[in-house]
Amino acid sequence: MRMMSLYKDRNTIVHKIDPLNKILYILASILITMLISDFKVLILTLVVSLLLLLLGKVIKNVFPIISFSLIVLVTIVIIQGLFNPNNKTPLVNIGQFIFYKEGIIYSFLLILRVLNILCAFSLLILTTKPSDLIENLVRRGLSPKLGYVLASVLQIIPQMLSTMDTILDAQRSRGLETEGKLIKRVKAFIPLIGPAVMNSLISTRERAMALEMRGFNSNIKKTFLNEHDETSFDKLIRYLLIALIIFTIVWRLVWLK
Amino acid sequence: MAKIVVEGLKYRYPLAKKLALNDISFEVDEGEFIGIIGANGAGKSTLCQALTGIVPLFFKGAYGGRVVIDGIEVTKSSLSEISLKIGMVLQNPFTQITGSKLTVYEEIAFGLENMGLEREEMKRRIDEALMLLDLYKHKDKNPFDLSGGQMQRLAIASIIAMQPKIIVLDEPTSQLDPQGSSEVFKAVSDLKKKGITIIMVEHKVEKLSEYADRIMLLHDGRLIDFDTPSKIFSRDDLKDYGVVEPVFTRYCKSIGLKNEMGLYPVTLDEAVDLVVKKREHSS
Ligand SMILES: Nc1ncnc2c1ncn2[C@@H]1O[C@H](COP(=O)(O)OP(=O)(O)O)[C@@H](O)[C@H]1O
Ligand SMILES: [Mg+2]
Repeated sequence: MRMMSLYKDRNTIVHKIDPLNKILYILASILITMLISDFKVLILTLVVSLLLLLLGKVIKNVFPIISFSLIVLVTIVIIQGLFNPNNKTPLVNIGQFIFYKEGIIYSFLLILRVLNILCAFSLLILTTKPSDLIENLVRRGLSPKLGYVLASVLQIIPQMLSTMDTILDAQRSRGLETEGKLIKRVKAFIPLIGPAVMNSLISTRERAMALEMRGFNSNIKKTFLNEHDETSFDKLIRYLLIALIIFTIVWRLVWLK
Repeated sequence: MAKIVVEGLKYRYPLAKKLALNDISFEVDEGEFIGIIGANGAGKSTLCQALTGIVPLFFKGAYGGRVVIDGIEVTKSSLSEISLKIGMVLQNPFTQITGSKLTVYEEIAFGLENMGLEREEMKRRIDEALMLLDLYKHKDKNPFDLSGGQMQRLAIASIIAMQPKIIVLDEPTSQLDPQGSSEVFKAVSDLKKKGITIIMVEHKVEKLSEYADRIMLLHDGRLIDFDTPSKIFSRDDLKDYGVVEPVFTRYCKSIGLKNEMGLYPVTLDEAVDLVVKKREHSS
């Protein structure tokens, strides 16, 4: 049974970067792309993200994520190209539809923003084990209980889904109809709910007991099995990112005037 | 000094009409292996949970009497404090996996992290527990990828690493195949050799007779009898309490074969000895 995650296990420097820094990187990317509408800056940040993904050997895994959002991106181009209120200069026409330069440029800006944010998120998601991310946040003050919930949900939901499958199989072998018309299938689903809910209620209570026996509610200050030495490199990156975030905000405020 | 002292323990679940535990008193010494038997609904699980303080702290309900573990009364202490003295292993191996850890090794660490142990001490204890439960070769596996027997041994290892002096096991083998069951029995008997007090609810009476020093018979929330396996299984009213004796005992009962103390044998070895002796005697 696996965790629900997109994490790709590789041994690269990007994987070793402190998860908090990756979160800060997302924050910086969002701020830069939202606050600054300069093609050069947006392309630069996108290139940086892509380089980092390349360094993390996960660049191939980003493409499915991007192509998944392709429909949205194409829609943006069409709608903006046709209907942007600032449209003045016709660029091309396909049949009776005229695409305008202003709208197309604006849609490229939007697309760059989306790509920037997607890539920044991908960097975190593809190169950080969810459990490491959660443990890191717990160390920095996230409540251990919330941390447990987050970590266990990622593993226990696939577990519960497979329990549902087992129950479904059992019911099916007793002659339950699960194929065919929608109504039929909905009806077939109802007898599943009882066992599934009972099952998870009982296992929730048992798990709560088991956790209790493992000192889950102890007031002692928790320690961690895994070591976590923040390298001076990690610290340096963190300060740089924070500086970048502050600089972006200040620059935007000054520039606006 | 007795490790476990139970005095006049009564308990009723919230909304329930009858008592789940009705005036139970007994003592268990350090290092003893106690088996608990009784029909469904006899109160075995409730008693186990009362020993660890989960009843009443977790369930509330009406509670009377005292459970004292190692000099500490459970109702006057917190569950995390009691869990350092007495650990519990449940029926379903699945629900005892925390689900938040990715490897067997880290899973065992879960309780130790909550205890606030130093990293070196944690590693020492985890290695020891892995060895004791014969899980070392699986230490890097995902807990959910283990077999039932392995998972149950992991649950035991996770408790053992916290170094409680007493461990309570509530039907730990009932959801396991024969292979998994014997793995667990072997592990539990190793714990007994290390001097850990063991309380085990179990339907496999043949195994229980082999390992247990004393057996407790429960029925309808009452303690019917608490004695050596041969005394318990030599009773002729076991059927009234919905339990059966080991097959060897049943065989000897059917042919009226008792030892010199007037008791029936409870293990295969005892039964064979007795049959051999009887033959020599008659020839
Ligand atoms: N959570 C609960 N709430 C109410 N009643 C319960 C609960 N658990 C068990 N009981 C009742 O308490 C009695 C003893 O149950 P239990 O200790 O589980 O028995 P055993 O483990 O010997 O089968 C039974 O009558 C059972 O119905
Ligand atoms: Mg029970």
